[in-house]
Amino acid sequence: MNQLGFVRQTVAYVVLLAVTFLICFPLIWAFSTSIKAPKEVMATPPRLLPAEATSANYRNLITGKEQYFRADQAYVPTTAAPQHFVSWFTNSLIVSGASTLISIVISTLAAYSVTRFRYWGRRIVPYFSLLGYMIPSIVLVFPMFLVMAQLSLVNSLWSLTFGYVSITLPFCMWLLWAFFRGIPIELEEAAMIDGASRLRVFVDIVLPSAAPGIIAAAIFSLIVSWNDFLFARVFINSIENLPLTVGVMHFFEGTHVDWGLMMAAAVLMTVPMAILFMLMQRHLVAGFGAGAVKG
Amino acid sequence: MTIRLEHICKSFGPVRVLEDVHLGFPERAFVTLVGPSGCGKTTLLRILAGLETATSGAIWHGTEKVSDLAPGKRDVAMVFQNYALYPHMDVGANIGYGLKVRGVPRDERERRVREVARVLEIEPLLARKPRQLSGGQRQRVALGRAMVRKPWLFLMDEPLSNLDAKLRVTMRGELKRFHLRLEATTVYVTHDQLEAMTMSDLIAVMDHGVVQQYATPAEIYNRPANVFVAGFIGSPPMNFIEGARLGGGEVAIPAGDRVVPVAASSLAAGADRTVRLGVRPQDVRIDGAAGVPGEVTLVQLVGSEKLVDLDLGAGVRVTAEVKADLPVEQGARVRVSLDPARLHLFDASSGRNLAA
Amino acid sequence: MHVSTSTDWRVADDRIGILFIAPFVVAALVFMVYPVAESVRLAFYQHNPLNPDAAAFVGLDNFRAIFADPLFWQSFRQATIWTGCSILLQTVIGVALALLLHLPLRGISVFRGLLLFPYIVPTVVIALVLQWMLNPDIGVVNWSLRGAGLIDESIYWLASPNMAMLSTIMLNVWKYTPFVTICVLARLQTIPLELYDAAKVDGAGAVRRFLDITLPQLAEVLVVVVIFRTIWTFNKFEEIYLLTKGGPGTSTFNLAIYSFEQSVASLKMGVGAATGVVMMFLLFAGSLVYMRVFRFASEDA
Repeated sequence: MNQLGFVRQTVAYVVLLAVTFLICFPLIWAFSTSIKAPKEVMATPPRLLPAEATSANYRNLITGKEQYFRADQAYVPTTAAPQHFVSWFTNSLIVSGASTLISIVISTLAAYSVTRFRYWGRRIVPYFSLLGYMIPSIVLVFPMFLVMAQLSLVNSLWSLTFGYVSITLPFCMWLLWAFFRGIPIELEEAAMIDGASRLRVFVDIVLPSAAPGIIAAAIFSLIVSWNDFLFARVFINSIENLPLTVGVMHFFEGTHVDWGLMMAAAVLMTVPMAILFMLMQRHLVAGFGAGAVKG
Repeated sequence: MTIRLEHICKSFGPVRVLEDVHLGFPERAFVTLVGPSGCGKTTLLRILAGLETATSGAIWHGTEKVSDLAPGKRDVAMVFQNYALYPHMDVGANIGYGLKVRGVPRDERERRVREVARVLEIEPLLARKPRQLSGGQRQRVALGRAMVRKPWLFLMDEPLSNLDAKLRVTMRGELKRFHLRLEATTVYVTHDQLEAMTMSDLIAVMDHGVVQQYATPAEIYNRPANVFVAGFIGSPPMNFIEGARLGGGEVAIPAGDRVVPVAASSLAAGADRTVRLGVRPQDVRIDGAAGVPGEVTLVQLVGSEKLVDLDLGAGVRVTAEVKADLPVEQGARVRVSLDPARLHLFDASSGRNLAA
Repeated sequence: MHVSTSTDWRVADDRIGILFIAPFVVAALVFMVYPVAESVRLAFYQHNPLNPDAAAFVGLDNFRAIFADPLFWQSFRQATIWTGCSILLQTVIGVALALLLHLPLRGISVFRGLLLFPYIVPTVVIALVLQWMLNPDIGVVNWSLRGAGLIDESIYWLASPNMAMLSTIMLNVWKYTPFVTICVLARLQTIPLELYDAAKVDGAGAVRRFLDITLPQLAEVLVVVVIFRTIWTFNKFEEIYLLTKGGPGTSTFNLAIYSFEQSVASLKMGVGAATGVVMMFLLFAGSLVYMRVFRFASEDA
């Protein structure tokens, strides 16, 4: 397509900016709410820019201070939730990190094996993974809950870790399989002729070459496990062990919904994902190219 | 120590790729495996490297049977067609990788890498990554990686095919010089017959998995074992005339029973027979007064030579290579004579050289 | 000199291959095969999670119960509507966005980069934010609409059945349209520019060029995308549950929420599992369609 006329270009930019604004508006509004004092939050009509910005909501979340709401001259506790915010955050970090690590290790080894060695069944493994990816988590969660109950792991972070492995492993396997297929085998042959053993070839040559695919899979896995709600809801029943997703739902308890606090929690919850997002700009698109139409 | 390939056969499933390859490579020889795509030359090379195993047969290095050894244990080095440089390592690390794997201490490793880099004139590139190099530079790095380990066998898989024509000519000479310097046996695979002719001590011409002829370049050029070898080696390719009749001390080509004289020693014993006549364009003369009448259909100037396509009638066509200053034009009628000492006679059905 | 026996190193080699795939096989059996198998088994049992020892085999009773339950069929209906509307909107908006992002504007890659943003936002976050924005009294949406004169009274986005359905559709569209856009954009970028040049020389205007060149090329991708997203959207749980919990009442129930409620609220894990089996069956049928079409589409390409 050739250069557009000036008018067309302007129109296009305007539309683009409008669409971008619309898409990002929820988070913009959430941030705006989170830096307002409770009185301003409830004020009408709502304004985008706060008259007085305050970081009280964030501070309270991080310090775990009990939040109060001033209604009719009396201070009424809103919810006990904020005290646990920091534990929720660390729980999410731990569980996402651990499950991602496990999934990546298993699927990297498996993808390499399937693309380089010959044995029965190696061709069906990737498609089997793809099938596994399509199973809705609602089907997986209750049987796994029963298993966790038998292993006395219910309400522990381990149960979540294993749960998340079950939903991230299939796609990681599929992605890495597609990726490994694209690595030319001559590199490994050259290394073998140079005298390296198979394991050495794997560590010295294959892993560095596979790095982009592994990063893409890791990012995907981190996002999925950070964002999950269902497994956490079913597996965990004590408030300190919850990850962020279920934890923030507790903000709805109490006598009054503190929207400012809740929006601050929402923003903080999104920050790690936004960081990942910025880091993975190139990788994710490449990863999608290697894989297929994923949703 | 010589290298012996004993009755190597290789099949991929039902497909037979190598058929009873039985060759010996003298120590420090430069041996070329040449043939069209699919003839099995690369497979044979990979079997030598250990990247494939022969379905049957063995490989000996002196008294040691190497065909059972893993590639890394054979102490051979290979230059791949696409160089296969490790993309995440710099040039120095690429070259030194084989030494590192073998536990050579870092100081000595670096010394040897630098020495090889100096010889190959790539010292300033040692810190760069492969993707920053040109094709010719990458090739030198691949060579360096192979050279630094001082192997007893050097394998090269069409190393020049990715280079542009001009670079190829320079690199041919360089590769030959490196071979002489290294004092190792080199097995070189190519589909380019010119590379084979200019660089080799011995050539194995292959087709469909069978070695058609294994000899020195001169031997292959002057006494090709069969029609395939004769047509494959030499540029422009040899002219073939079907249905020539042999008898009475003469060879007659079937264009209206014209007669072409042939040296007596070339005649096969006795009986009249039909043969396939082969003659190289360089041995076809059009400047004499005697010979078969023919018409010039096309003249192509190559530089110092001209290629002249000739029609001798009744579907017989040959190409002659003559000096560029010989005046000849399209449509001209000339007298075509064939150098009697330089004729090749092949069996009409099997293609074998009658003189062999 | 030791010469290793015939295929020593090859055998060791193969062992590494098996070793590497072993963890995956174990994990797949434990985390994929077992839960699914167990889920199927549970479907034939009556299982109260608070009283596991009293679990009993009940044959097809759970399935009979589901198919006789009007709420099940209501959920199915609502799931279908929800999926249909979502997919339609995602496709139309997705293609439009892709076309927009395909324009040769300076700095377009920045916009393209921002596009995936909704995908990485946790569903919980967008659900919470939407609840806040859609608050009938102090939410920004109602205020803006009133301020612009588009409505007179507050809309009860989450408290009235139709609006609740619309709200959940909006959430779904917001979150997943980027996928459609990415796929379509990728395809757009592979259409050779010469086709458009040839069409211009032939005299085709912009609209004609879109209809005759762009759209047919997109058709393959769109079919694949639509089918895939349909399979996916039908079974979504969080996107609805976190916004409305399936309400008001049961007006935004889909099959996943139905299954959840059976297992957790009604404590009938067997029935929940049976619903899951039905969902898997539908999924399987949809996948067959997908694979047929995918093979068809990729052969064409």
